[in-house]
Amino acid sequence: MTIVFAVSVGLLMGVVFGFALEKARVFEPGMIVGQMQMRNFIMLKVFLTAVATGAIALAALHGFGYVKLQPKAALYSADVVGGLILGTGIALAGACPGTILAQIGAGYRDAIFALVGGLFGALAYSYSTPFLAKTFLAEGGGKIILTDLIGIPYWQGALALAALIVIVLVVLERATPWRGELGANVDGDRR
Amino acid sequence: MDLLTRKAWSPYLAGIIIGLLQIPAFLLIETALGASSSYVTVSGMLASYLDPGIDKIDYVARHISATGKNWWQVALVIGVAIGAFLSMKISGAVRPRISPIWSRALGTASPGKRYAIAFVAGFIMLYGARIADGCTSGHGLSGTAQLAVSSMIAVAAMFAGGIATAMLALRRI
Repeated sequence: MTIVFAVSVGLLMGVVFGFALEKARVFEPGMIVGQMQMRNFIMLKVFLTAVATGAIALAALHGFGYVKLQPKAALYSADVVGGLILGTGIALAGACPGTILAQIGAGYRDAIFALVGGLFGALAYSYSTPFLAKTFLAEGGGKIILTDLIGIPYWQGALALAALIVIVLVVLERATPWRGELGANVDGDRR
Repeated sequence: MDLLTRKAWSPYLAGIIIGLLQIPAFLLIETALGASSSYVTVSGMLASYLDPGIDKIDYVARHISATGKNWWQVALVIGVAIGAFLSMKISGAVRPRISPIWSRALGTASPGKRYAIAFVAGFIMLYGARIADGCTSGHGLSGTAQLAVSSMIAVAAMFAGGIATAMLALRRI
């Protein structure tokens, strides 16, 4: 894999990703803050649909032996502490690290500040890694996946997860239809 | 095509397209969708001009090295901005400089205050994402689809932190 090839694939995939994020309106601060205030569920709907689709795709690719899974190591303290800090940032930014770029593309000026803040945050973390490596945050287990703990093949667990998500989405969509969550200017602002 | 000029798609259609992106990621790049590592790559690269010794930090050296995976992800997030821009242009869903929800959520219409909060929020977000070793994409989309134990814990913590902050620190939107 040459870098030119990887970058070309990345750009193309990113354009599709950004296009879908914009069409779903899930990159809107109104959608993300609305989700975190539990009054708008478009973010959860896009997220769960993408997880279920990814799980089905990977069940097939992995089940037939085309790919290796790439799970991250279970660093329990780091996952909890980092996740909580990340969640705080998501609520205040009204974005996640990927959707900041979609916000910039769509014209939100404050997202540029979030991007620069994010670069400084990543740099600050980089400089703190030699220290953090000696703390409890570096402790944890290996690259554990749920189906290995249960003792069944990955594809079975992945399909079960996808089925579970479909049930959740059917219930969620009945409770709160997506068209009603868009708002007049499709930005999650429903006033 | 009519579908491309629409301002909003069903979240299910968009979610399926995003989920299918795992196929080229795994098959062509041998990695999963992710976004937050690219911040380490770009900030590490930029900082190396001011601090040439930064590549002594193993974490930075790993992220700025000229590998396909590192630069694939940088290209991916740049593509996200381009894709969102194209989609917005095609549908005419022009956005203001700041989403109207912020004046209510923050209790102030001052752009300066919003910019300052956005900067701090971005900093917190990426610092947390790098501690957790992934963000809404890497842990959220990719890790949970792979049934990774780390990712399920991280996603639960992300939502817990996000919900607590949005309920306690922000006003109702």
